[in-house]
Amino acid sequence: MMNRALGILSAVLPLLLAILMSAALFFATGYDVASVISGVIEGAITGFGSFWQTLRWSMPLLLIALGFLFCLRAGEFNIGGQGQMMMGGLGTVAVALLLPGPVALVLPLAILSGIALGAAWSFLPGLLKVKLGADEVIVTLMLNFVAVLFVSWVTTGPLKDPAVRGETASTPTVDSALRLSGGDGMSVTLLVLIAVAVVFAWLLAERSAFGLKLRYVGEAPEAARWQGMQAGQLKLWAYVLAGSFAGLAGAFEVLGPNGRLVTGATPTIGFTAIVVTIVGLSRVSGIVFAALLFGGLQAAILFLPIVSDLPSSGLKILEGLIALLVTAEFIRRRRGTG
Amino acid sequence: MHSALQCAGVDVRFGTVQALRDISLSFDPGKIHALLGQNGAGKSTLARALSGVLDPDAGSLQIQGQAVSFGDAAATQAAGLDIVHQRFALPPGFTVAEALEFASSRKMGGAVYSKHKIDAKWQARLNEAGLDVPVSAKLSSLPVETVQAIEITRALANDARVLILDEPTALLSPETISALFNQLRRLRESGVTLVVILHKLKEVMALADTVSILRQGTLVLPPTPTEDLSEDQIRELMIGEAPETPDAMVSTAPKKPEKELLAFAHVASRGKGPEPGLTDVSFTLRSGEILGVAGVEGNGQRAFAEIYAGLIRPMRGTITLEDTDLTAASVAERRACGLRSVPFDRMTEGASLSLTLWENTKSWLAEQFRGTAIPLVRLAGMRAETRAELDRYGVVYGDVNQPGGTLSGGNLQRVILARELTGEVCAVLAAQPTRGLDFGATQFVWEELSRVRNTGAGVLLISSDLDELFGVCDRIMVLRGGRVAGLFERGFSRTEIGRAMVGGA
Repeated sequence: MMNRALGILSAVLPLLLAILMSAALFFATGYDVASVISGVIEGAITGFGSFWQTLRWSMPLLLIALGFLFCLRAGEFNIGGQGQMMMGGLGTVAVALLLPGPVALVLPLAILSGIALGAAWSFLPGLLKVKLGADEVIVTLMLNFVAVLFVSWVTTGPLKDPAVRGETASTPTVDSALRLSGGDGMSVTLLVLIAVAVVFAWLLAERSAFGLKLRYVGEAPEAARWQGMQAGQLKLWAYVLAGSFAGLAGAFEVLGPNGRLVTGATPTIGFTAIVVTIVGLSRVSGIVFAALLFGGLQAAILFLPIVSDLPSSGLKILEGLIALLVTAEFIRRRRGTG
Repeated sequence: MHSALQCAGVDVRFGTVQALRDISLSFDPGKIHALLGQNGAGKSTLARALSGVLDPDAGSLQIQGQAVSFGDAAATQAAGLDIVHQRFALPPGFTVAEALEFASSRKMGGAVYSKHKIDAKWQARLNEAGLDVPVSAKLSSLPVETVQAIEITRALANDARVLILDEPTALLSPETISALFNQLRRLRESGVTLVVILHKLKEVMALADTVSILRQGTLVLPPTPTEDLSEDQIRELMIGEAPETPDAMVSTAPKKPEKELLAFAHVASRGKGPEPGLTDVSFTLRSGEILGVAGVEGNGQRAFAEIYAGLIRPMRGTITLEDTDLTAASVAERRACGLRSVPFDRMTEGASLSLTLWENTKSWLAEQFRGTAIPLVRLAGMRAETRAELDRYGVVYGDVNQPGGTLSGGNLQRVILARELTGEVCAVLAAQPTRGLDFGATQFVWEELSRVRNTGAGVLLISSDLDELFGVCDRIMVLRGGRVAGLFERGFSRTEIGRAMVGGA
């Protein structure tokens, strides 16, 4: 019990410290801290439709973070969530735009296609790591760039929206019958689907023999070997799960709030998701809270310029400070336990 | 003339273990001194203390007549003493010249160095030492004996007049050993004093002017001229003068062996780094017996255990359990057949220090669930079962959710035994299961192994402690150089087994 409390404290303290430091910074540069705080609260929770926006931005963070968790448990630092999400979006938009047929068939296929492409984009570095020992951090990071460029080619080439000129490249909007939410980003359907994904992740990570084996392979590889666990196979599954969850995030972005695949949309969300996993103490329940926190912050970033003279980059500083301090605490904790 | 290296009253304790007890000795200059002892006798600890790496709890040190305080590596180097460790100290990614310059106590000075200059300087030094090595080669690309020769050059470049070598022959092949010995003899000629830690009698006889022997942290033989000693005398001093056949240490009477259980036939495997493989191992483990595996460490014990458990596949030979061929079976398949193991290192191989006690105890449950889609774990049930098992094995713990790392070594070993000895057990291999444990925990491990033996399982006990083997085993086989060098029935003779372990006449 004591350990649990200490763990939660060690996750909350860096957050508080980051908030204090940013407040000091805003104050020192002459902004009205009180109005910034009230603006953040209004933008994330109390304002009209604000909490809906918080949920909307929590969604991709939550899904990518859950996927990242599986790799982290297996001792793999798969930071390719961003690219896996974009490839997932691509898989979904391609089916949604190109496959004719009834919604009851096309919609599940579009989602599955997103999951499959995301999973494939993660399976590749997993295979390179497990079979050849290629450093997964570098390969997954680099594949993010490949995914960005590939999606950018698709949205300016084969699947270019002819109506869009000059500005952001994107595909045409998918049929409204396939949309899981409107432009405001969230819907009860999406919430239910996300809840199902969370329960699935929780069962698999915290209550299954598979989850236990993953932890064993990650925490005690030598002991796992003597226990006869197939480390390579387990790690590959972890990569596939990570890519699947990120791919699902991409699918929901396309079928939900965005309605299409846009180059350059949410370019850092895959990295914020890593921070979400760590703030969530690498537990499914913690990740849900952390995703809501960062989703709220994202909603506030978009809302704040309306009510405060603080540019939204100010809150980006807060986000960056949180990431920095939380990572520092994470590394300290890792060192401490050996 | 004062001695080259002298220490008095050296005591070293690690926690409750007394690693060295009141060591006083003196090495004459210009000679090659061999330091002998079984594993865990304290040889390396003494070497580390003498070279300033480790600070003993008591004692004094003199190098070439000059008093030096312990635990100060720079001061011992300045006094003219250096050590070549078993694991080399030079960084493998550096070129020869860079590594030597980096390790040299007299650097060229300044923040910038000229590659050309240091290459020339060290090429000259190496040539002087009679070594033909390109200084621009990376250390990692050179064979191990060359790196060792470079390590020795490194020490001498720092003006070492007394050189300690910690098991310099452990990593070398027989041909390269004679080259090393020639290099050491040349150094003796130039007046350097050498203290060499060795394992093998043959090497001691070939190289050393004097022999000193440590046993269980005590100096049982001060430096004595080699020609005054016989191989048998040395062997006896190393292994101890305990009664030839000590009484059994466990209370349960050995059961009469019944059927043949596990058989190795001509099993061979490749070595891994400094760990030798097996050359040709055949034996049969019978049900209801404890078969001891004796041997000086590093004679294939690890390969033996890993082949038994299925971590590595043998290159040649077959392994059968009763009538089933297990040669190609995976670890999981072997466990399903009832083969269990208690690995060498309980902290990394036996258990996880970061996972909880219930996860450590129940990790084998992975096998029970094979085949089902998403097998779910009933946490409450798992924890209750864990509690029952840990209580049965007398583990002292607070909560099954506490991490494995919070337990003492003896308690952790009990957790591992609880996991490995529960369920259908056909054969158990225990590798050094009592190393580092206190008396009570040691006794418990022995009792448990005997209990499993009496249920009709076969037990393999790998140990380098002869007293342990004599006390609990029904038969003992000796591994030497990856071969079975002898198989002995109860009524063990220390002399015979010692001879099989160490070799020689």
